[in-house]
Amino acid sequence: MNLSRRDFLNLCKSSSVAAGLSAVDLIRLEELFAGTSAPTVYWLQGSGCTGCSVSFLNYIAPSAPTTAAEVLIQNVNLAFHTTVMDVSGQSAVSIVDGASKQRRGYILVVEGGVPLGFNGNACLAWSKDGKDVTFKDAVTVLASRASKIICVGSCASWGGVGAAAPNPSGIVGVQQATRKRTINIAGCPPHPDWIVWGIAKALVGSVGTLDQYGRPTRLFNRTVHDACPRREREEAHTYGQDGYCLEELGCLGPQTRAACPSTGWNNHANWCVDANSLCIGCTEPSFPASPLRGAGEREDD
Amino acid sequence: MGTISYTPTSVVLDPVSRVEGHLKVEVTVDQNAVTDARITGTMFRGIEKILANRTPLDAPDITQRICGVCPVSHALAASETLENAAGFTPPANARIMRNLVLGANFLQSHVLHFYVLSALDYVDGPAMPPWQPSWSGGKRLKGDTATKLVNNYVAALDIRRKCHEMGAIFGGRLPHPPTFVPGGFTTTPRKERIDLFKKYLAEVSTFIRDVYIPDVNLVGSVYSDYLKVGAGYGNLLAYGVFDQNDSGTDKLLKRGASYRGSAPVPTVDTKAITERVTYSWYASQSDNRNPTSGDTTPQFPKTDAYSWLKAPRYNSEPCEVGPLARMWVNGDYQHGISVMDRHLSRAEEASKVAAAMANWVGELNPTAPVYRQYSVPVSGSGVGLTEAPRGALGHWINISGGMTANYQIITPTCWNASPMDERKQCGPIEKALIGTPVDNINEPIEVVRVIHSFDPCLSCAVHVMRPSGEARVFTLAF
Repeated sequence: MNLSRRDFLNLCKSSSVAAGLSAVDLIRLEELFAGTSAPTVYWLQGSGCTGCSVSFLNYIAPSAPTTAAEVLIQNVNLAFHTTVMDVSGQSAVSIVDGASKQRRGYILVVEGGVPLGFNGNACLAWSKDGKDVTFKDAVTVLASRASKIICVGSCASWGGVGAAAPNPSGIVGVQQATRKRTINIAGCPPHPDWIVWGIAKALVGSVGTLDQYGRPTRLFNRTVHDACPRREREEAHTYGQDGYCLEELGCLGPQTRAACPSTGWNNHANWCVDANSLCIGCTEPSFPASPLRGAGEREDD
Repeated sequence: MGTISYTPTSVVLDPVSRVEGHLKVEVTVDQNAVTDARITGTMFRGIEKILANRTPLDAPDITQRICGVCPVSHALAASETLENAAGFTPPANARIMRNLVLGANFLQSHVLHFYVLSALDYVDGPAMPPWQPSWSGGKRLKGDTATKLVNNYVAALDIRRKCHEMGAIFGGRLPHPPTFVPGGFTTTPRKERIDLFKKYLAEVSTFIRDVYIPDVNLVGSVYSDYLKVGAGYGNLLAYGVFDQNDSGTDKLLKRGASYRGSAPVPTVDTKAITERVTYSWYASQSDNRNPTSGDTTPQFPKTDAYSWLKAPRYNSEPCEVGPLARMWVNGDYQHGISVMDRHLSRAEEASKVAAAMANWVGELNPTAPVYRQYSVPVSGSGVGLTEAPRGALGHWINISGGMTANYQIITPTCWNASPMDERKQCGPIEKALIGTPVDNINEPIEVVRVIHSFDPCLSCAVHVMRPSGEARVFTLAF
């Protein structure tokens, strides 16, 4: 089977929503590939649920790249991702072993947190020479030579749900585990637009400024409440009613920085607040708060 | 034949790619066939421990994060567990919207499984990473047929995305929908949402009929020898799913069990579910317990143990769970039990679920309630039995002082990927691997075909942890 990159790209057509990539960004991406100088991307999965990869596959936009398939074909040289790659075992491990030979550097994408408990044995990356390689050791080695490290999701960024009390396996984020600066595309999961934007921007240059939690301010500059169409509306006192502000039910929109009100979810099919549910603050380091839906128990009103 | 002597060879595949989560398999191959197999999951998070001492109301949101491929099943199981503890029945609209979002995710997961997770076992993907390098040996689909299947792989990526868009219309977003709450559902079934859902469902249903099922049949005919590979025990267990009345007595996919090909028994007695730890790194006090009184006391090292996965058994039998078990118990698919039967029954289940969804969406009442006030009982216990796309899923809770005292989850992959029990009966995937022919031990693609047919989800197997080779005592924070 020898379908070329261009042939395959021609198969990938679709429509809708903006990724926020400029025409200049796209030209630069195309140039990278035309010159075969596109940096390699390694996508490692640690202690997580694969939900961020699933969210990435939900990517859809009106202009190139329009789909996840197109991102993989045209914009990213994704050498390693265990959920989609063909080979297993030693054949797979030898791909990441090749990272040290990447002359132009590479981008490391990490999904899932890094367990430090049990000497790292709560999450194993692979076996090499008959020995288990912990995820902690794998991510540390690959991070040391990466030109950029992108954390996709709250687990890789700072631990996420697995790190909630009592943090049974001692999970921390990639920056804490490796002491290397990371770009944190937060969310549980992050919106696919944010993931593609982060990776594309990192490939062509810079994601711009980061906030105190390592999140690109371009994506995480406003709170959900700030841009919420239900702001200033009458308060809901129960679930299942359209149009009301959900703050009294425990909506965490006022203290959660995310672009959900403008990006919506799943090709604008819906989003948490429009579904009369609450923002549960999944882009914040404090996620998951206890209680998660603390109706009437918060003090910040 | 002559007197050539063979030396059994052991090969470790770690990681096994195209599964959800972290999976390692070690097989012994003798005379070109697998003679022994050990399955080990390689991630432990302890989600159940995180649930303890929180309000039970957090369970639907937290348990979804066990798995990004089947979060809807966990959200549903947790909601039903809490409602069971309170003797609460949610409004009909909630039951129907839960079915529709779960159905959308079943379709998403089944399409993802066949094309993204399994197809590369039978055909080479595009000539670029991440589809290259590949294990090309043994891929019998070539030329135009191969091109067509790869084209459909791309179309399937689009369709599975649309399945999630369809589910998000009511679910709020996918993965990890925020709309499943004890007491019902949060979204209102407005007419424009119903209409949009129908539009998506029509497109997805057409794909299942015209592309997915023909492709599975194509692979099944080219690899008809895989109708004889990977049979396993033939013990099939299904909790059932998709309630079609408020009492839950009428399910689209019925509850039941079948032993070694016998006629299905239409009930499941949860008291007959126990978890064995003879070959797991847990102390004898954890052995042979029902999940309502589950115990997880680690013991490492431990003679003969090789897994941190416990071994769930039903009436002391290892059981396969998943679409084949459901369709068999339901009387919809009883052609056989094998690698290819798992793919074929999964595709037929997708068709059955999609057809039922078209009826359910018509039963929504835009003006009726979706939620009724739910209060957590001060004390009590509850159980929620449902199905994930990859098999039977059970949640159990004990509530004390209005807080979660103990939460236990037995996931489908705990059943399928379990280790041996005290009778030396190995787990269902291990059993299915034994006898599998292997042509090239360096690229044992036949082994991953068997594993992939079960659609394992290792993030779900939360008990699992594997220590390093050195003897070391671990203190697990249970």
